[in-house]
Amino acid sequence: MEVIMVDQRKCTGCHQCELWCANEISSESKEMPASFSDEPQPVPRVFVEGKQFALHCRHCPDAPCVEACPNGTMSRDENGLVFVNDTTCIACWMCVMACPFGVINPYSTMKLAIKCDRCRNMGYPICVEVCPTNALQLAERDVKAFPASKA
Amino acid sequence: MKYIIIGGSAAAIQAVEAVRSVDQRSSIELFADEETPLFSRVLLPYYVAEELPKKLLNFRPLTFFEDHEVISHLGVRITAIDPDTRTVTADNGQKHEYDRLLIATGGRPIVPPIPGVDKKGIFPLKTMQDAENIFNAQGKRAVVIGAGSIGVESCISLKRKGMEVNLVEQLGRVLPTVFDDQASSIIRKRIEGLGIKVRTGEKAVRFHGNGSVTSLSTSERDIDCDLVVMSIGVTPNIELAESAGLDIGELGGIAVNDRMRTSAAGIFAAGDVAETQDIALDKKSINAIWPCAVEQGKVAGLNMAGKKVLYPGSLRMNSIGNFIGQPAISIGMVNAPVEEGGVEAGEHYQEVVRSSQDTYRKLVLKGNRIVGATLVGDTQKAGIFTVLIKKQVNVDEFVPLLMSHKLNFMEILPLIRRYSDKFKEIEYKELMDTGL
Repeated sequence: MEVIMVDQRKCTGCHQCELWCANEISSESKEMPASFSDEPQPVPRVFVEGKQFALHCRHCPDAPCVEACPNGTMSRDENGLVFVNDTTCIACWMCVMACPFGVINPYSTMKLAIKCDRCRNMGYPICVEVCPTNALQLAERDVKAFPASKA
Repeated sequence: MKYIIIGGSAAAIQAVEAVRSVDQRSSIELFADEETPLFSRVLLPYYVAEELPKKLLNFRPLTFFEDHEVISHLGVRITAIDPDTRTVTADNGQKHEYDRLLIATGGRPIVPPIPGVDKKGIFPLKTMQDAENIFNAQGKRAVVIGAGSIGVESCISLKRKGMEVNLVEQLGRVLPTVFDDQASSIIRKRIEGLGIKVRTGEKAVRFHGNGSVTSLSTSERDIDCDLVVMSIGVTPNIELAESAGLDIGELGGIAVNDRMRTSAAGIFAAGDVAETQDIALDKKSINAIWPCAVEQGKVAGLNMAGKKVLYPGSLRMNSIGNFIGQPAISIGMVNAPVEEGGVEAGEHYQEVVRSSQDTYRKLVLKGNRIVGATLVGDTQKAGIFTVLIKKQVNVDEFVPLLMSHKLNFMEILPLIRRYSDKFKEIEYKELMDTGL
């Protein structure tokens, strides 16, 4: 499967990924600056953290959020990507409690858990596309080299 | 190989998936005494509140049994297990042979011997039938007895349906086993803000009514009511295991080893019926929560199918979700225990607290390890505490960061790297290999 890898030496902390993620994925208009005034406010699924590092959902092979979800809302697709089925999320925040990376946003206004699904329906992640320094790259994950811990 | 699974909820279904991930050929038979399959018990209060229609209560598609080639016997109760002949007997008299058996019979609501508790209009909330009973109950006035997670969610559900609701709790605070005094009081204010009357420190003494319940006497007052929800807690359904001679733990759950195997060869147990080692408390515990049932079902299923997989232990975790409009999460130990003599050096308990008007964060530390975390308000990073508790990491000088609003995963990466032997999964490796 392909995951987003981050080259820390190239990440300048410019937050372009956050901006474009929110605009492209969760705004109505999908155009800036119109999307800035959308209600509810568009929210990003990537977080520029620490000493400048863009952190997304890591799509864990053995994902605690999927195990904690009480009604199958948090699912895994045939490519291994973990995603939220928006229509069935009940905002219980069990996934938030389980995610070791803290990258699931308990979005109260929408009563919805929001996280990166690696733009699985768009073909190509918007954050990778807009990153001005190519710090974000899609890369094949060698799952065989690191088998899931429990299986 | 012949697999038999007793139970039809989280642990049982997860075990089916785990077995099938290894063994696609053998027969799996599943027996569940409830006729409605594949619904999530955790969601019953949402159904009562009319927030979710019945079909959205399912946690797997209705084609699950077909998809996984499982012969399902729904509404069939297993009445006996014979570990010597490796057979189970169903309530229709039929015997079925197994090579590997999973007991995932869950728990049942505790019904205390309060006079009048058998009157009409008094229900637990555990089965789909219970939910239907409460959903269809007539009347305007409800009492919920027991302010645990189900009790609190039930009273909010009934309030949303337009009823007058009293919540009665014998102990001194709401969610007494989940939150400490301070977190609990923030939540209590929210519940009261919804118009629910909260009566803590009050014991239910007697139900009145001619046939149907019409009022409840507590240790303090009389409360008129048309409907009562009993949510005192659950107790494991161990009768089958007990009469089959399996070892029962000191807390009354089925004793299992670190592969979820019981004392009998070929028989496993998982979920609310199993007694496991609690990672945070460092002692046996029955953690009757959804995520533990899922993990245990998975470990049991993989071991039943011949893999060698160890269960690292259970961890209590509760989330109040969006129900009260204020997220609140509690993991592991709620309060540091009052220490008695004989504590080894370096293993003292300590609580670190940070609070504002509506937010609250508390860590319980044992020596240098986190063994409990409570977050009210700002909860997005809660899972960082969960993983640090689960992996039993010494957090050392990172406590101030963990308590600060700046907390995020990349800030604690140096800590993760320090304990890289505990973070071998690829999702961590990928971040550690970035040269940070």
